[in-house]
Amino acid sequence: MDPAEDKNLDYQQGTISTVELHDAIRRETPLHPGERGGVGITVIVLSSIILIFGGGHFGSSLTVAENYIPAPRPSLDGSEAGAAQVVWIDKWMGEGKKVYNNCIACHQASGLGIPGQFPPLVGSEWVDGGTKRLGAILLHGINGPFKVGGQTYNQLMPAWNNLNDEKIAQVLTYVRRNFGSLPEGEDGVVTTEMIKAAREEFNAHTAPFTEAELLAIPGDAQLSGAKVNLETGEPL
Amino acid sequence: MTVPQPTQEDLNERAAIDRSARYPVMFFFTSAAAWLLFATVMGFMSSLKLRLPGLWDECAYMSYGRLFPVHFNALVYGWAMQAGIGVMLWLMARLTRSRIAHPVAVIVAGHLWNAGVALAVVSIWFGAGRAIPLLDFPGWLWPVLGSGYALTVVWLIPMCLGRRNALFYISELYLIGAAVWFPWTFLTANLLVGEGAAPVAGAGAGAWYLSNLVYFWMAPIALAVAYYIIPKISGRAIYSYPLAQVSFWLLAFLAGWTGISRFMGGPFPAWMAAASGAASIFILLAVVATVANLLLTLKGATKLWEYSPSLRFTVIGILMLAVWSVLTALGSTYVFGRNLQFTHFVAGLDALAFYGFFSMTMFGAIYFIVPRITGSEWPSGDRIRTHFWFSTYGIITMVVVTLVGGIAQGGDLAVWDRTFSVSFTNSVAYIVGRCLAWALITWSNLVFLQQLALMFIGKGRKSAGPTLIHAEPGEVQSARAAAGIQ
Repeated sequence: MDPAEDKNLDYQQGTISTVELHDAIRRETPLHPGERGGVGITVIVLSSIILIFGGGHFGSSLTVAENYIPAPRPSLDGSEAGAAQVVWIDKWMGEGKKVYNNCIACHQASGLGIPGQFPPLVGSEWVDGGTKRLGAILLHGINGPFKVGGQTYNQLMPAWNNLNDEKIAQVLTYVRRNFGSLPEGEDGVVTTEMIKAAREEFNAHTAPFTEAELLAIPGDAQLSGAKVNLETGEPL
Repeated sequence: MTVPQPTQEDLNERAAIDRSARYPVMFFFTSAAAWLLFATVMGFMSSLKLRLPGLWDECAYMSYGRLFPVHFNALVYGWAMQAGIGVMLWLMARLTRSRIAHPVAVIVAGHLWNAGVALAVVSIWFGAGRAIPLLDFPGWLWPVLGSGYALTVVWLIPMCLGRRNALFYISELYLIGAAVWFPWTFLTANLLVGEGAAPVAGAGAGAWYLSNLVYFWMAPIALAVAYYIIPKISGRAIYSYPLAQVSFWLLAFLAGWTGISRFMGGPFPAWMAAASGAASIFILLAVVATVANLLLTLKGATKLWEYSPSLRFTVIGILMLAVWSVLTALGSTYVFGRNLQFTHFVAGLDALAFYGFFSMTMFGAIYFIVPRITGSEWPSGDRIRTHFWFSTYGIITMVVVTLVGGIAQGGDLAVWDRTFSVSFTNSVAYIVGRCLAWALITWSNLVFLQQLALMFIGKGRKSAGPTLIHAEPGEVQSARAAAGIQ
């Protein structure tokens, strides 16, 4: 079919014929050293997406692993009794720790604050006392000057009432149990029900509280709501 | 940029290099193709066992637990690595303008490697395997395989040292990378799964090794081929040479981090899966840059896709690399991975990496190299077309079926009160799809092996023109001749 059929003598003689080189070799184009073409916008955009996605994955997967709590599952006979259960308070505290991320900038992960600038939660009479003052502060904020542990702070803590009742309850539970030194017999738990009640109680309040207003609330006053079973989260 | 046309002396030199490479390279290619056929038949049979578990059930040798590792090890060590080594030898010889000084020594080392693979397959078949994917062979075998590799690849060193080419081309960088990274990963993985090692460490090392085999060995060789064949056939310079170098170093820095995410959620420190998942995503930077670079090089010469078998196989292989790395990156995130982990999807991804991506690129290289070293042209363009389409459809079927099947199976497995047999019954349709895919691939490989055997025994076409997938129309031919392209 090809006029040049059978003209390849490349390997038929022991040496290479300079005339009858195998055509595949003759046909070859030489390699160019390469150029310096610009990278298209598509590649740059794709690369940025990859970087953002990859970094996000790295961060989030570490967090996922850290906060991983296995879902409760029944035992083989289908009953829930005797099956490994997640203790309610552990989960509540775990969620509270997540909400506390909002607070870290000022109060620090250690809860010690920054001396002279942001008040500590550890050893603070506001935390160790009743939940009513604490709930009021969280829902509407507090405007300085006010005293914590004998030291005066002139700061504004903003209101956090944009968080839902459950989240506020969780973070208060976390703060009280983790940073507070609670009286004997006090479990430090704040429930969603309590925050709901507090929201109604302080509904009329619009501006942040001042120290005087808060001191008007008795130091050991508690938010109204039932205590709960720490194992199950059910009201007692 | 214009490059001087080769002189008669250059042509003689090319011919001399090809002649020195003829026997060793053909040895690797033909034994690789034989292993490939064996591996794909085993792949088909192991998929069949999933559909008909009762088949040959009195025979331990035909159980899935042995057939599948036999298939996978033969595919990777028998076919893929041998084809890669053959390509490496020829490409390095051409790029450095050195001959293969001791072809006989290379062939002897090649026999050692083949003996190692055969022993591995037989040991697995007799039940002495270690049950870690791609490290299935018994522990005493890795020195045999390792020395077979070392004694072959060591001949690249004199080629590099005695290089007579002023241009240090990007493909050489990739080949050197592949040559030195494999012994490191192979040794590390084998020491970590050896006697007395913790089983968890073994599983982790196995996953790390599997991913590194692709990114640290297969990808560099395939990219060396792509950076060689695409410019060679299109007659165009690489679109951006600096970008090619940057992608190489990105690959070098990131590849070693990948792999562990296969076992995310497993009993490893959380940072391992997190870092390796992130690396699987970041490595897309290198893949995107490389694929874009290669496609931009080809831009304007895409018509050649119609005719050139080497180009067509290489380009589809590189595209499948992109698909594989994107799917792997998605699979190593929690969102997708938690449902796809331990399903058909993982097996499909492995097939995509080793068959879809690497093998297709190697076919491209073989279609380019073999006519040069045997001095004859491929017997039939139609057969090449058959090989291409059966392989391509086979692997696409495989990926689609295992992806959809993986999602379904993962969904079933995630429901705690659904029994395992339910999830299995639900995936029957997908298993049939896997069988079909392997059947298509097996047929394509039979065709390929027949063509390669004809070339091997000197029954290739003696002709001045290349064997093309479709005959070129006259005007394309003359346009190419006018542009000075092959």
